[in-house]
Amino acid sequence: MTSVLVVDDDQDLAEMLGIVLNGVGMEVDLVSRGDEAIEVFKNSQPDLVLLDIMLPGTDGIEVCKAIRKQSSRVPIVMLTAKGDTHDIVKGLEAGADDYMVKPFKPSELIARIRTRLRRSSGDINGNLLIGDLSIDIVEHSVLRNGKEIPLTRLEFDLLVAMAKEPGRVFTREALLGEVWGYRHSTDTRLVNVHIQRLRAKIEHEPEAPQIILTVRGVGYKAGGSGAKA
Amino acid sequence: MVSLLLISAIGTTLYNRLEDGIYKDKIASAISEGRAAIQFAKYRFTIESLNAKPNFRSLAEEVVKSTNVSAAESGREVVLINTKGLKLKGVPSNLTSNFLKPESIPKSLREVTLTSEELTWERGTLSYINKRELPGVFVGGVLDIPKLGQYEMYMAYDFVSQERSINLIGQSLWVTGFLLLVLILLTASFVLRISVKPIQIAAEVAESLTTGNLTTRMAVRGEDETARLGIAFNQMATTLAEQISRLENLSRIQQRFVSDVSHELRTPLTTIRMAADVISGARANFEPNIARSAELLQSQIEKFEQLLQDLLEVSRFDAEAATLNFTKIDLNVVVKKCIDDLAPVALERGSKINLQPSSERTLIDGDSRRIERIIRNLLNNAIDHSEGGPIDVTLAENDSAISLGVRDYGIGIEKQYWNRVFDRFWRADPSRSRERGGTGLGLSIAKEDAILHGGDIKVWGEIGKGANFVLTIPKIAGMSIESYPLESSTASTQN
Repeated sequence: MTSVLVVDDDQDLAEMLGIVLNGVGMEVDLVSRGDEAIEVFKNSQPDLVLLDIMLPGTDGIEVCKAIRKQSSRVPIVMLTAKGDTHDIVKGLEAGADDYMVKPFKPSELIARIRTRLRRSSGDINGNLLIGDLSIDIVEHSVLRNGKEIPLTRLEFDLLVAMAKEPGRVFTREALLGEVWGYRHSTDTRLVNVHIQRLRAKIEHEPEAPQIILTVRGVGYKAGGSGAKA
Repeated sequence: MVSLLLISAIGTTLYNRLEDGIYKDKIASAISEGRAAIQFAKYRFTIESLNAKPNFRSLAEEVVKSTNVSAAESGREVVLINTKGLKLKGVPSNLTSNFLKPESIPKSLREVTLTSEELTWERGTLSYINKRELPGVFVGGVLDIPKLGQYEMYMAYDFVSQERSINLIGQSLWVTGFLLLVLILLTASFVLRISVKPIQIAAEVAESLTTGNLTTRMAVRGEDETARLGIAFNQMATTLAEQISRLENLSRIQQRFVSDVSHELRTPLTTIRMAADVISGARANFEPNIARSAELLQSQIEKFEQLLQDLLEVSRFDAEAATLNFTKIDLNVVVKKCIDDLAPVALERGSKINLQPSSERTLIDGDSRRIERIIRNLLNNAIDHSEGGPIDVTLAENDSAISLGVRDYGIGIEKQYWNRVFDRFWRADPSRSRERGGTGLGLSIAKEDAILHGGDIKVWGEIGKGANFVLTIPKIAGMSIESYPLESSTASTQN
């Protein structure tokens, strides 16, 4: 049974979210304050977190960062009433994988949650080599010189999607489709911020990337050798 | 101009009168002197004739020569002409002084002199044998000399010194006139500048205000009219600046309020939405009436949400707080995607959407969210009004702009309503079904979005024939549309 942690100060909304998610067979924990959220997260280890950015007490952004410190894996979906790019980018940079703007269709929310929970396809076994990184698909780990680099699920999926076909240029729309599961989206903010986050973690010099390269006017590609070991 | 004419008129009059006066003077003195001279000559000749042996010749010569003695500078000549009488030996018929040609004497004067008992005079030209010609006056009289005969005696006085005086006066007048003119011009331009300067300054400050610099003011010195102008002007500028900042402030407050309202509304709306969804999802378990209520609830909430969204957009346009995010867009791709998305809905109403893409792949500057929204709005609008007919979508471009036309063949719009379709919440026929009517803000938002891009949406329509909406935007942000690739009135023909 999938468990979801819902952090939102609007208790009615949180309760409603609980009812909806219960309806599709998910377990739900409801928290209305930021400081409580971190505690509950530590104790309950949910499969996914729905996090409202506007929280009393500890700010939603701070909660996001704190959760990321705890676990790099758990998918975090931001809930926000403001569609401003600025707020969304801040949330994504703080570690959220995706966002939903209120008011949203419950069916959309569920679809998004399910996409995030879906494990990346296992059509490749073994390891991928790219740059000086070793990617273990099954274990979902990325190693450099034996040391693990913690990536969120999305960052990992993003890296693998490109490392699978080194040299192939992916448009942002293609990445949105393959990694986020959005066939018709043109919201490139998700891709841009995640590429940045990925680079910050795996590149020796994020400003001068060697592994994840930008192709001007088109998209991104993975450089360096990627081969099955 | 005026002063020039005035000065010329006065100067000329002055000149003429002086001239007249001077000549008159001279003539008068010439006449009186001439009279005296002629009388004296007559007297001397008569005396001589009483002599036993009269020596007329030497007397004549003496008389003629007498000119040079008395008149020093002002020339005076004497002419003796024999008209009829004895031709004495040794006495020539004509005697003149200083080689004055006797022909100088005007014929008209001679005629008059001969017939007159009195003195006569006439102006004429003194011509000398050495080709010198001087203007002057002739005074003449008849001498009846006993034993000699009739002689005419003429005194000729030249106007040389008069001419000199006249010239001097003339020159003086010219110089004075000129100086006067210059003085007037200087004074006039000075006065003009003094009076125009403050107006000029006011105009400059006004211009500065119009460019947005609300802090410029006129310098105010003294207490005269200019100062009053300056003070009044500055007052106006200050009031303007205050008004503008008040309005800006109001706009900011309004924008913030609308933003806060929308934020506050969104959260409960999310809950309502979810609740309606859950209830609607379980409606199979309800009685028919309750089930139907659940459906209606859900669909109306969707509408409400959309309306809220649109209202927020509209308020941003009004507060001029709309932001643009430009990227490069391939319009063909975007249009195709929107058509694909809406094709099922169109088919439900019996309409097929046909696309005529533009020939090349052109990337234009655009805000993708807004562009997509415009296209969706136009397509939805067409679907609503096409009454089952086809919908033709055409893309065309030229050097500066790209056009997208959406043409339907349905109910159409009357010409008088063409511009009203873009009004908020306007409906051509209020009784028409609102089923898929949308929020009533779609077209007005589309038009504002188009204008934000520096473009426009033009419309054509005819009752029963359908309508054509053409969106045109410049290819490069900031450029202006030089010509329209598609005109709304040239509707594509089909079937």
